[in-house]
Amino acid sequence: MKCNKKEIAKALLKLLGKLGLIGLLFFVVTFVIYMGNFENKLIYYVVRPFLNKHYDSQVRDRRIV
Amino acid sequence: MGKLIGFIDDKLKRFDPVWRAENGKGGQRSRYHDVTGVAKYREWRGVKDTMFDYASWLNNVLAMVKMVGSAPVSIMKGFWEYRWMGSYLGTFMFIDRLFEGYRGEELRVAHAQMHAIVRSLTGRIGYILSHDRRLGASQAKSEKLVPMDEVLPELFMTGFPGLYPVPLQTLPEFIICDVDQHIEPYYIDVAESFGLPADVCSRCAAETGVALDDAFPLVGKALITTNMPCNASEATSMFQRRRVGLPDYQATLAMIHNDDELALPFSRQIMKETIAFVEEQYGVKFNWDAFFKAARRINEQNNFELEKWDYMKTGYTAEVGVSETLYKLYEWQSVNGADPYFNKVDRKVMKRLRKCYEKKYQPFGGKTRHRAFLWGPSAVYYTDFPTWVQNCWGIAIVLNMDSTMGFNMIDTEDPDKAIDDLARLTQKATMRHMAVGGWDNVNAVWEWAHNFNCDMVLMNDNIACKGMLGVHAIMEEQARDLGFRFIFIEHDLEDSRTVSRQNMRDCVNQYMSIVLNEEPLDPTLLNFDDSDAY
Repeated sequence: MKCNKKEIAKALLKLLGKLGLIGLLFFVVTFVIYMGNFENKLIYYVVRPFLNKHYDSQVRDRRIV
Repeated sequence: MGKLIGFIDDKLKRFDPVWRAENGKGGQRSRYHDVTGVAKYREWRGVKDTMFDYASWLNNVLAMVKMVGSAPVSIMKGFWEYRWMGSYLGTFMFIDRLFEGYRGEELRVAHAQMHAIVRSLTGRIGYILSHDRRLGASQAKSEKLVPMDEVLPELFMTGFPGLYPVPLQTLPEFIICDVDQHIEPYYIDVAESFGLPADVCSRCAAETGVALDDAFPLVGKALITTNMPCNASEATSMFQRRRVGLPDYQATLAMIHNDDELALPFSRQIMKETIAFVEEQYGVKFNWDAFFKAARRINEQNNFELEKWDYMKTGYTAEVGVSETLYKLYEWQSVNGADPYFNKVDRKVMKRLRKCYEKKYQPFGGKTRHRAFLWGPSAVYYTDFPTWVQNCWGIAIVLNMDSTMGFNMIDTEDPDKAIDDLARLTQKATMRHMAVGGWDNVNAVWEWAHNFNCDMVLMNDNIACKGMLGVHAIMEEQARDLGFRFIFIEHDLEDSRTVSRQNMRDCVNQYMSIVLNEEPLDPTLLNFDDSDAY
């Protein structure tokens, strides 16, 4: 029983450590994206030009009625 | 911990644009790529405020992820089908621009309110696109939605809890024109290619262009139009109803108001007929209990708004500039008592504002030099104008015209009285309350400015608004007589090709430097090219 408790505590600590590491990694990655304004650069220089090219090639059903 | 944060703040302060402007080492524009308006890196605001801004950014990212997750196929189809959907990708840049220079309490209030907008708007986009027949939704699924003109207060639709109101123009035009200055010129060109004159209001031209370009979502089985708020734009509704092609009722809004004797009977009758039209077309009965529930929510919001105004009159408030006006505009235009989350946000914000008032908190480090009342529409949002005048010249925008919309209370017990209040609400809607509808609405500028202890009035001058052009000289004469510092800021509303953002900023630059002989707080904000920025 004593051994079991120790093992559970150890597993919990391991899990918490992993969660902490994942959390830290998540923070580092997202904070770098945030501070470097990388998502906006991607949108402005890559995504929007691609979408605009598509929109410009669309054949729209333009009429008054 | 406090000492550590203080140490880091001290070491990194040279990256803070406010500190840089104060110390002659640059400023807000130093971190931007010219022309594109893309920031090289985000604003360093000190450890606490930067971490708060980061957490708020993350929260908004999650709201967008949730939107895509709610209807992934429809959202992707929406991006592929609608040009205006692509513009929503500029939202993060928009938020960054709006809250430049915000610190401490004003940053917290601004983000609480902005997140409510992002949360509501993303939910709304997901819902509408997943019910859009153009994107594959079935007729039956789509028929729960009621397309209606954007200037009608949505509150009346809360009496139909099984139906979902869709202010038709808000997604492709009314909101997105604030985020991206380049989207509406495309639709304006579509309208003009059919012979629509180029000197009409660009909002009306853009909405017409969206209709002609077949870019409104296809939802609902009957449409509620209006005569639109501006006299010049009545044609817009005509083009839209023809193109949408659904059975429609035109809720003709009174052109004279502020008069219970003359206008109220007419407005009341229109509201009754609008409700009867929805009942007949959608086969449902108006539910007064559901309506009263929402009316209580809008009353609570309006009570908060009036309390906020008392703080704003003093200057000891964290509810400032663009954050205040954009939130009020969205809350009125797209929520109107229908979303309890906004009441929750309002309660939290009010607690903060009460504390700020007690502590005599001054926003922007107390660097405000002038208090201005702003009479400005969409052009002040895509230019992040209130933020710019604060950061560049120290002019606090105490209140904007969009914040003065319908704040009358709604009766929550008697249907007859409630209809009257609802009718009054239609008379205080967007634009109806501002540029048209009687001399008192325009003349009220001076009263608002006086009541909010402003020494300046900044009046946006839409060069295509025939109604307001007629009073141009009179406003200038009145400003002189009443002793207000007064600046007309020319703009072409949603067409930034005619009057650029820098042209608008120059109106203020010239007045502040030539007439008042003042120096800017941040010289990097005086002259810059952001012509290709969203």
